[in-house]
Amino acid sequence: MPGEGHTTMGDRLEIRGLTKTYGNGVRALQGVDLDIPAGMFGLLGPNGAGKSTLMRTIATLQEPDGGTIRLGALDVLRDKDGVRRILGYLPQDFGVYPHLDAVTLLDHFATLKGIADRGERRAVVDALLQRVNLWNHRKKRLGGYSGGMRQRFGIAQALLGAPRLIIVDEPTAGLDPEERTRFLNLLAEIGEQVVVVLSTHIVDDVADLCANMAIIAGGRVLQKGEPRAAIDTLRGKTWRKVIDKGELEDHRERHMVISTRLVAGRTVIHVFDDGAPGQGFGAVEPDLEDVYFTALRRAA
Amino acid sequence: MARSDSSRFGEFLRFELRSRLRQPTVWLFGLLFALMAFGATTTDAIRIGGGSGLTAINSPYVVTQMLGILSAIGVLIVTAFVATAVVRDYEMRTYSLFYTCPIRRGDLLFGRFFGSLAMAWVVFVITAFGLAIGTLMPWLDPARLVPHQPAAYLWTLVVLVFPNLFVMGAVFFGVATLTRRVMFAYVAVAAFFVVYIVSQNLISGIENDTIAALVDPFGMAAVSVDTRYWTLAERNHSIPSLGRLVLINRAVWIGVGIAALVLTYSRFRMSAPIEGSKSAVDDDEPAVRVDREPPRVHLRHGFRQSLAQWGHQVRVELSGVLRSTPFVVILLFAVLNVFGGIYGAMDDMFGTPVYPMSYLMVEIIEGTSGLFVLIVIVFYSGELAWKERKVGLHEVYDALPVASWVPLAAKYVALVGAVAVLLAASALTGMATQIVLGWPHIDLAVYVQGLFFHGLTRWALVIALAMAAQAVTNQKYVGFLVMVGYFVLGAVLPAIDLEHGLYRYASEPSATYSQMNGWGHFVRGLVWYRVYWAFAATLLLIASALLWPRGTDNRWKLRVRRARAALRGPVAAATVLAFLGFVGCGAFIYYNTNVLNRWVPSDEQERLQVLYEERYKQYEHLPQPRVTAADVEVDLYPAERRVDFRGRLELVNQTDAPIDRVHVTLEPELTTRALELPDATLEEHDEELGYRIFRLDPPLLAGATTTLAFDVGFAEPGFKERGSSTSVVENGSFMHSTGFVPRIGYDRSAELSDPNERRERGLPERVRMADLDDVDARRNTYISHEADWIRFAATVSTSKDQIALAPGYLEREWTEGDRRYFRYEMDAPILDFYAFLSARWDVAPDRWTGGDREVAIEVYHQPGHDMNVPRMIDAVKKSLDYFTVQFSPYQHRQVRIVEFPRYARFAQSFPNTIPYSEAIGFIADLRDPEDIDYVFYVTAHEVAHQWWAHQVIGADAQGSTVLSETLSQYSALMVMEKEYGRDQMRKFLEHELDRYLSGRGLERHKELPLMRVENQPYIHYNKGSLVMYALREYMGEERLNRVLSRYIADVGFQKPPYTTARELVDRIRAEIQPEYAYLVEDLFETITLYDNRTRSATITALPDGRWQVDLEVETRKLRADETGAEHEVPLADWIEVGAFVEREENGRTREVALHLEKQKFTEHEGRVSFVVDEKPTRAGIDPRVLLVDRDPEDNVRTVAEN
Repeated sequence: MPGEGHTTMGDRLEIRGLTKTYGNGVRALQGVDLDIPAGMFGLLGPNGAGKSTLMRTIATLQEPDGGTIRLGALDVLRDKDGVRRILGYLPQDFGVYPHLDAVTLLDHFATLKGIADRGERRAVVDALLQRVNLWNHRKKRLGGYSGGMRQRFGIAQALLGAPRLIIVDEPTAGLDPEERTRFLNLLAEIGEQVVVVLSTHIVDDVADLCANMAIIAGGRVLQKGEPRAAIDTLRGKTWRKVIDKGELEDHRERHMVISTRLVAGRTVIHVFDDGAPGQGFGAVEPDLEDVYFTALRRAA
Repeated sequence: MARSDSSRFGEFLRFELRSRLRQPTVWLFGLLFALMAFGATTTDAIRIGGGSGLTAINSPYVVTQMLGILSAIGVLIVTAFVATAVVRDYEMRTYSLFYTCPIRRGDLLFGRFFGSLAMAWVVFVITAFGLAIGTLMPWLDPARLVPHQPAAYLWTLVVLVFPNLFVMGAVFFGVATLTRRVMFAYVAVAAFFVVYIVSQNLISGIENDTIAALVDPFGMAAVSVDTRYWTLAERNHSIPSLGRLVLINRAVWIGVGIAALVLTYSRFRMSAPIEGSKSAVDDDEPAVRVDREPPRVHLRHGFRQSLAQWGHQVRVELSGVLRSTPFVVILLFAVLNVFGGIYGAMDDMFGTPVYPMSYLMVEIIEGTSGLFVLIVIVFYSGELAWKERKVGLHEVYDALPVASWVPLAAKYVALVGAVAVLLAASALTGMATQIVLGWPHIDLAVYVQGLFFHGLTRWALVIALAMAAQAVTNQKYVGFLVMVGYFVLGAVLPAIDLEHGLYRYASEPSATYSQMNGWGHFVRGLVWYRVYWAFAATLLLIASALLWPRGTDNRWKLRVRRARAALRGPVAAATVLAFLGFVGCGAFIYYNTNVLNRWVPSDEQERLQVLYEERYKQYEHLPQPRVTAADVEVDLYPAERRVDFRGRLELVNQTDAPIDRVHVTLEPELTTRALELPDATLEEHDEELGYRIFRLDPPLLAGATTTLAFDVGFAEPGFKERGSSTSVVENGSFMHSTGFVPRIGYDRSAELSDPNERRERGLPERVRMADLDDVDARRNTYISHEADWIRFAATVSTSKDQIALAPGYLEREWTEGDRRYFRYEMDAPILDFYAFLSARWDVAPDRWTGGDREVAIEVYHQPGHDMNVPRMIDAVKKSLDYFTVQFSPYQHRQVRIVEFPRYARFAQSFPNTIPYSEAIGFIADLRDPEDIDYVFYVTAHEVAHQWWAHQVIGADAQGSTVLSETLSQYSALMVMEKEYGRDQMRKFLEHELDRYLSGRGLERHKELPLMRVENQPYIHYNKGSLVMYALREYMGEERLNRVLSRYIADVGFQKPPYTTARELVDRIRAEIQPEYAYLVEDLFETITLYDNRTRSATITALPDGRWQVDLEVETRKLRADETGAEHEVPLADWIEVGAFVEREENGRTREVALHLEKQKFTEHEGRVSFVVDEKPTRAGIDPRVLLVDRDPEDNVRTVAEN
């Protein structure tokens, strides 16, 4: 019920036992437990891992089959209206009304978010449009925006009303390097008292930005914690070798290959091994990607 | 930052209004509807309800009708707005932005709904303005306007239009929002219209008016019932009231709307659509590693491959359409609609059905499936054209090595295929219905020819236009607009006198199927027009293929450039060929329609009529010789549609002075080979109008005789655009003398008769008919001004396999080569009114004997149309039985009933010959004895004409049609009553009363009392039936028939001065009982109506087992003037009261009269009591509706026990 639960700055998002099975039998979430404190939290996982399902559930767009989500005293699943008052959501895939201009639509959302005073609203809308660098295009039809511009608009509406829970779902896919950098900087500015959940399959986004992370695949949380700590656990267990294409099958059978890459035309593999895997392998400093691939391989 | 928890309803509403008003759609729709209303008001082009004749253009009645009907069409508009109000968030993928805002779902739902609904209301306010502005236009005929009543607009908007849009909007908003797909709302709209039309058909009987009024969601039926019998005066000045029916209807339907909104609200959730999950596929399969080489393939290109691609894509596109849910739903409803259409159309006359012949099914399907085929074409042309772009696959597709014409050609053929499936389903439905209704004679050829050769080919043309509109404009909704424009033009062009088919895309000359003549000669014109427009369609398709949007840059300049580049080689050749074909066909068609034949558009027709009057009316009273004999030779060549008429008319100068000028009119279409009059020189010859003036030197002396010899021919080579002759056909020719035989003197009936048209052209007011007491008028009958009774003989020849008929007795029949000859002669004079028929008939012979007379009865009918022939013969016999005894002997030795093709729907009485249309009587389905046997009735009526018209004939003055039509109605009623019993007559007379009352409201000129009727069918047929039956009930049959038989004895076969209705009325007055003498004035000399009502009917059981019936009644007597304004007159009338009981007889419920007596009423209110032997079910005042009553329903009440 509105007003029953409330959040205070610095509350953490507690997800317990969240399950969701779709009508056709796909088990998108199979008992997800997460503790997400204030600050940047990265949710890493391949496509189909259940990330979007989880994001939409937190954003009140979907009902889970079981489990709870709490933000401080706020019961996220029951008190949807309470969540929406403090929520900023940037969906993975969204559209706009093509015949309207950015100011009009953003103003509309601002009203819907609850900013009743016209002066305040105008100030907020103007500020956000400048912040996402759409000020020069603010009067143009949204239908004419490029993909990157539309994404920036999405960010602007997500930041309306100083939300305390921000969900961003695959935000940098489709952005060029410059736009990506700008976006990540923007997120970083948001503030430490806000819970920001960044769901992505791009490892670098998490590595660059997030103090906390979880790896999710097949509806399950494979690993959680701080990225630094995760990398530390892998130190001394990651190995590198350059091989021919034809040898790949062979290596796969004999080792736990966690990643294959082409570097200047040669195949480079990373392998996980508690001890030295053998000749041709060299120890390599692990990074978050190794952590990610190792977790996935282990779960498969 | 301040937050407010208040309702966002206002914000959603405001946003919706602002957002929509910025887009052109609202204004475009408003403009379109306003133009339609404007056009309907200012021109006769567009007809939407509207004022006929004297109902003023801006009368409240017309305003209500027009806006009401437009609001029904407006269902589409309101759906267009509300369907997307919420669903657009799914289609545009903005839902995830909205649903995560702290809003209440009610605010979103209702804010958006009412905002969109308001748009529809705005459209109609604009429409009302368009209507109002139209009525202010200076070029409108002021005689057709009444003082403006803004209240009428307001009333209609508030009571009808706004609630209609609200209800429909709420329902379809619910459909779209809950199914989350806009298309379903449109499908629901189509389904709704089907159900609506079917239900209207089902409820079309008079008895169910109240139910019909309540069931109609548009409120129009309720208003209609309230104003059903309104006269002209009321329609022009009174605003419909909020009657009980209207109020209940509005309450019910607004309630439905609210319920729909509540239901939508309760089931609506602001959550992500489940579509993602249904088709979500588990992507956690481990990657399969395949390092083997992919298999080798050979790539082929070139025209053969393109053809194969095209074939393949046709299959893909077609199956896509056929399997799409909307199509399946449309198919289902189209099938339902065919059922409904058949059901509704089968009730032919007096509620009696006809046999479900295959060609009737085809006609009904063609008439009713139009809407659905249109929906399929317009929507799917857009869907198919944008299919790839909608799912984002177009970039992939457009980069494939597929020629640009392939997708266009495939989508085109697929859409044609989809329509073919729709038509096939309709055909199957028609066949199934035939079997269900018990007439399993399925003529497969007719179905295939009618629906596919004719129908599908025409739709293929329309589809070409639709695809071209999509391809060329490259905007889905503009393409739709183009199609809308095409249909609107189709209605508008003919109305502004642009009627020729050569410039109306996909047009064709009309064609009617007859089982006698098949598709007949109409086929030729149809085929050529089809080929002509097919060439045009080919050009359209070629243009579409060349301009087909491909890739991501489809600016107009680029597409034109690409098209120009591709226009070479075989494509260019094909274009040139198609163009040449188009022009060539066009030339050939023009040659046929305008050169070989005359092209007479409707305004041209009127111009000629005006010209005739302007030039020759001066000769109207010029003394002319009269025709006293006609001997005609007719050579008919049915296969060539050619006929030659030769003959001699004997002319006698029956005046006192010599005649030196003879005026002769011959139809200008005829080829005149000879027209000879002794001692005559042709002084003037008006070729345009076919008018000739001969000067006689020496003049024709008084009493002298001369002979006019003529030789004319008629042929229709090639084909005509319109007005193709149905008189001379391959099988079933029916030629009236007036079309082929020269006429003497000025013919008044050729003048333009409509008073509005006359005023527009500056012609003086025309007297419809001479006054009843005009002495001059009695010199002629109303049949002909050029003759009285003539001697008649004819020789008719036709092809060997046909029989030819003319009035007269067959004296001789012989064959010469491949021609067959018939010689007919009349042994007594006949009216100057005869016809010739020829066909391959079966003949059913019979004979009637009465006293010492013997009459041969023959029914000439199409083989296979013998179902009702025995009934016709029986009717003839029973009519002869009655008429020869009650009136006078039958003057001929034969009665011949002759079937002619269904191009016209009437039966007519010539001397001893009765042509009878295929469409009435021959195919009537009389298997249900509950149905009124109109075959019997029509036959009796036509036989009666042998007395009333061919023995007694009235002068050319008011009231003369009483002597022929009304008395024939009476005669037929008597024969029917003897056959079917008194109780059956009530049902029949109810129909007559309804027709009379409805006819009053449609009067274009002025209503007249029966005695002065000016050939107005609703008076001389319908009111006549009621009057004569009532007269019989008061006078008694014996007394009335005595008057009639004496009348015939005195005036039958008379020479001028001819009798008039006044003579008949005087005779009735002389014989009628003195206490009923007032009736003569009421029934014949004035327009008298009653308002009778039974307030209460109670019964009390008497100790001796009988029942006392007590009635409280009200009665009022009214006289009306010409325009329908009524005033009350004092009462001193005998009105019947009675009681009835329902009895089961032979498994049927019949209402039998227990008691009927006439009582005298002098006060408005009265109490009546009488005793009956049995417990009655109903009782009342004037229960058999002998007197004309505006509301006959309240005459009788179900009794209440005391």
